[in-house]
Amino acid sequence: MTTDLIPPPAPPADRAAALRAALLTDRPGTLTGLYRRTFPMVERHVRRHGGSGQDAQDVFQDALIVLYEKAVAGTLTLTAAPSTFLVAISRNLWRRELQRRRQLPHTELSPAQAEELPDAEAPAEAASVLDYLAQLGERCQSILLSFYYHRQPLEQIAATHDYGSVRSATVQKFKCLERLRQAVRTAWAGTADLLAR
Amino acid sequence: MRPELTRLQRIEQHLLGPAPTAEAAAAWQLEQLLDPALAADAAVQQQLYQGLQLAGRQQLRRELQAIHRQLYGPPTGGWLRGAAGELRALLRRFRR
Repeated sequence: MTTDLIPPPAPPADRAAALRAALLTDRPGTLTGLYRRTFPMVERHVRRHGGSGQDAQDVFQDALIVLYEKAVAGTLTLTAAPSTFLVAISRNLWRRELQRRRQLPHTELSPAQAEELPDAEAPAEAASVLDYLAQLGERCQSILLSFYYHRQPLEQIAATHDYGSVRSATVQKFKCLERLRQAVRTAWAGTADLLAR
Repeated sequence: MRPELTRLQRIEQHLLGPAPTAEAAAAWQLEQLLDPALAADAAVQQQLYQGLQLAGRQQLRRELQAIHRQLYGPPTGGWLRGAAGELRALLRRFRR
């Protein structure tokens, strides 16, 4: 029977778990595959609906970031293939962007101006953390981002950063967090002193 | 681990751990009474996590832009094409 050869569609939880595993083991490869398969569809849609290639790139990357963060956090439910999900979010984002532009005509920023803007969702304190993180050195930056943003398991972080055990990777992670905290606290205390004068 | 690091770990567990049970919430309240700096330190640590989230997102965005360039090449009509055009115009003038 030929129908036996067709695997049943994976349940949503399995699909999301498979994507999470693929992103954890090979982030560049997995993202490149998703990009290659899905971006042309999004670009076609955005161009047909009054957008440019740059607009398509912006909404697609925003959508991919949404998908990525949900997938690694384990909060993603996929009722279809990841590319279908990406196209749906991209269309949604582009519709919202079009509405925004209609309401606020002639207020489009040049790319250079947009680059200058702080992240809209970012509180000022969080944005200042970025500068101190950049001063920490590559190893600490990598450990902190791998754990807190990319949600890599400590086993993986220990292996990629040459720590003998999960325990020593954990200690190192907290040492890095402590250094970041000290840098930030010193800076904030300085600002508070200035304001109190 | 040093006590300072254990404290960071304790705050992390409170901020990022699974939703606290009534018992755990009561324990945190008690700890705050015994350690007046705990709430302020937890607030700072929460800002660090938000900053890391932001930094991670920027890193991912850079990775996606690199993937885009790798798949579709640099943007057309940008400075490179402009510069090439100017160079051609210059050569034409030079040949006269």
